[in-house]
Amino acid sequence: MGLICILLPIIGGIWLLYKKRQTYFVRLVLLLHVLLTGILLFLPDTSWVVWKLTDQLNIVLKTDGLSRIFLAMVSLIWLVVSVYAQDYLEHDENPIRFFAFYLLTLGGLTGLCLAGNFMTLYLFFEAMSLLSVPLVLHTMTREAVAAALKYLIYSIAGASMALIGFFILLHYGSIEFAAGGTLSAAVISEHRDILLAGALFTVVGFGTKAGIFPMHSWLPTAHPVAPAPASAVLSGVITKAGIFAVIRVVYYQFGVELIAGSWVQYVWIILSLISVLMGSTLAFKEQILKKRLAYSSVSQLSYILFGLGTLTPTGFVGAVLHVVCHSVIKNGLFLGAGAVIHQTHKTKVRELDGIGKVMPVTMTCFTICALALVGIPPSGGFVSKWNLIAGSLESGLGLISWLGPVILLVSAVLTAGYLLGISVQAFITGKDKNGAAAGQEVSGRMRNSQMLLAFLAVVLGVFSGPLISYLETIAGGLF
Amino acid sequence: MDFACNFPFFSIMLLMFTGIISMIAGPRPAKILSLAALGISTVLSALLIAYINQTGESFIYMMGHFPAPFGNEISAGMFEAVMAFGICGVAFLSLWGNGASTKTDIPEKKRNLYYIMMDMLMASLLVLIYTNDIFTAYVFVELNTIAACAIVMSKPGGETIAATIRYLIMSLLGSGLFLLGISLIYALTGHLLMPNMHEIIIELVHNSNYTLPLIVIVGLFGVSMAIKSALFPFHSWLPDAHGSATTASSAVLSGLVLKGYIILLIKLFFRVFSLDILKEFHISDVLLVLGLLGMIMGSVKAIKETNIKRMIAYSSVAQIGYIFMGIGMDITIGLVAAVFQILVHMVTKPMLFTAAGGLINVSGHKKDFESLQGSAWKDPLAGVSFIVGSLSMIGIPLFAGFIVKYYLAAAAFDTSKNTLIILAVLVLSTVLNALYYVPAISKIYHRDEASKFNWQDVLRTIGAVGDFPYQASLIIFIILNIILGTCSGPVFQALEMGLDMLG
Repeated sequence: MGLICILLPIIGGIWLLYKKRQTYFVRLVLLLHVLLTGILLFLPDTSWVVWKLTDQLNIVLKTDGLSRIFLAMVSLIWLVVSVYAQDYLEHDENPIRFFAFYLLTLGGLTGLCLAGNFMTLYLFFEAMSLLSVPLVLHTMTREAVAAALKYLIYSIAGASMALIGFFILLHYGSIEFAAGGTLSAAVISEHRDILLAGALFTVVGFGTKAGIFPMHSWLPTAHPVAPAPASAVLSGVITKAGIFAVIRVVYYQFGVELIAGSWVQYVWIILSLISVLMGSTLAFKEQILKKRLAYSSVSQLSYILFGLGTLTPTGFVGAVLHVVCHSVIKNGLFLGAGAVIHQTHKTKVRELDGIGKVMPVTMTCFTICALALVGIPPSGGFVSKWNLIAGSLESGLGLISWLGPVILLVSAVLTAGYLLGISVQAFITGKDKNGAAAGQEVSGRMRNSQMLLAFLAVVLGVFSGPLISYLETIAGGLF
Repeated sequence: MDFACNFPFFSIMLLMFTGIISMIAGPRPAKILSLAALGISTVLSALLIAYINQTGESFIYMMGHFPAPFGNEISAGMFEAVMAFGICGVAFLSLWGNGASTKTDIPEKKRNLYYIMMDMLMASLLVLIYTNDIFTAYVFVELNTIAACAIVMSKPGGETIAATIRYLIMSLLGSGLFLLGISLIYALTGHLLMPNMHEIIIELVHNSNYTLPLIVIVGLFGVSMAIKSALFPFHSWLPDAHGSATTASSAVLSGLVLKGYIILLIKLFFRVFSLDILKEFHISDVLLVLGLLGMIMGSVKAIKETNIKRMIAYSSVAQIGYIFMGIGMDITIGLVAAVFQILVHMVTKPMLFTAAGGLINVSGHKKDFESLQGSAWKDPLAGVSFIVGSLSMIGIPLFAGFIVKYYLAAAAFDTSKNTLIILAVLVLSTVLNALYYVPAISKIYHRDEASKFNWQDVLRTIGAVGDFPYQASLIIFIILNIILGTCSGPVFQALEMGLDMLG
């Protein structure tokens, strides 16, 4: 079942490259994928060895609570964004290639979510990185090529760092994922140093995908050059692959016990706090809209890494919750930015005066998402940030346990500054200095996707109860 | 003695006689004879593998049934058989696949000589693998060197002549050092057959007699083979020689000839000395450090390179570094990993060279990346092969390169050397590999913004570019790479068994 979920988009993508089907084919594949994922969600936990590479290295597919959450998120957002993309790329030279790689990337992500051991995770992580490069490359301008190269090299460098951890785990423990970690206490006490070094390499390595400092600089380069739907999923979903890998490796491989209170935890948290602050500050200063959103991702993703780094159940719940919320919100924001670019070809923030009068739906959705990201109740962002801060205060890390929340709050204020400023300009500054009124509202499908995402951003906050309790049961097994 | 024990002898003689007969043949019959001889040798080696797998032990074969010192001996086990199989098979594919470019690059009059040299080269490689006699090894090292130089030079042009002279001087330096080593060891032990020398050396080491001369001998063997197999810092001849030769030659030289010397070195280390002695003499430390340096420096040089063939040649320097790193860990599992890397590089590098040759062909015979822009669209199969080769070199799972890294990393934990440093260099070299293969891929796939393109056209081009042997050999190379990447278990067991038989 899991394998079908992975192969469906991959075969669909290859078929699309070969046959140049109409766009309904993409929608069919994605709908089927959502359906299959839906069925998978309600099937009991399974684990299946697909192939043995060597005696030790297996390809294993497995479903558990965490993979369900990520899988549902990926599958749904992929469908929503594809609806938007069909109109967005209407006049594009090469929509087929875009959708083909869009589907292939989904295959890689699905495999990543279902990975049952580190080997499979690594395989799909690399596959997804490679397959998503054409999304960045799409326009084929010199800038895009340079950005794609940067993206790829950072990805490979990150994955290679994680490979050190992989080798260490392979030798000292097992690479199967098991809640709470796989290392025995005897091994931990004997080889503590090398295990910790491996853990740090892995966290920073996979964190590269989520733009952790000092491996963040590819993100603001690569995300803005892609077409808006691609930037949306790159920034909103693909970066979460890095988060997912970090969760898997830390909570299911190295184990909380090893890292809690060690220097690795401090380094991890400090790096993520630096990224939070730096991301927001740079976003505040940035004038190009999509770049601003990309910097915002750097900061928001590090919220999540910070939450994971606290190594407390509350922090974990907050982090995963923020994964879901940020996915929805960031996709909404990028789609909004894309809509503006699509209609008016304006990329700079200061050109957006009065745009809200011309594109009211787009800018309203944008504003709702912005408010949710800042963390205004009752949006999703509020609930997740609440948990993150609570987790930090529980962590008992001395100075950091209260410095963390302070930085998160400062960053939230900055977020309000860099996002709501745009809304203010769009709706209130009214005067059309630059002729922004030349455009008009986007088509129905693009509008619907944005409205759905904005709606979800609020719903996630209001009805977050079931999700939180589900996450709490997962977290219960990990600590 | 079973009939199968004749197979190594048969393949060597077959290749040598093919060379002799080709002297009176035209270029085309010479090529066909060469390919036939290589094909038959491949089959014979495969049968030999099956035979040894059945008997489960190595054997010693006396040529002409004269006992030493008058006769000459061949020793064959699983290791030798697998290596011979790989070498003959890959040589067949490289020559067969690149027949068309050989035809354009080598003048008509010289072409049968080219194939004669190829036959001699392959025969001497097989001897290096099979021989049990260290002086025979020397003779064929020389033959190998001369044949290799002639092969580089056979493509006319000043570039190749300069490269050949450089190659010749470095190679002869290596041969000279090797001969010096042989003289010293002969003076110490009075034997030229490997097992006999082994007995005496064990005794000498046991009584700690002649320790210094023995260290010198091991050093001489190590350095001479390191020069010949282009281990950093003795690599400077390699990019010129491999970068300027015709594609088939580059593939064979880079993929096979370098490995012949390493295989000989492993045999010397195992059969004449032993891992314990090497450890005691610290020669493995030197090889490990040079291997690690080579892994980094080879890639650093490759990053700066703008000529695609020279870039791939520099990448060989890095890959040879992996092999020496495996040897330098001086534990059996490290050596098995090194030998596995020999095999993997044997199928990957000729694929990369063949693909690069194809790309160069469709871009007006220019080798710099500027001219190669977009060439992968004109020859999609070469583009795909180049990607597969690059991914394997970078170490993406499912391709052969990843499995090598896994085995080397697994060995790194068992060695007495510093595990973390080895792991770090292994990973660093992965990143460095990506730093030149990824931009290379992006260049060969670069298109002008204006040019319209259509996937179906591209798909139609596959099959339209190049002749059948070229396409078939590329596809076989891709399949081999993926097989080594996904089903490496049996191969690895065979190599383990082979090294077990050696020592």
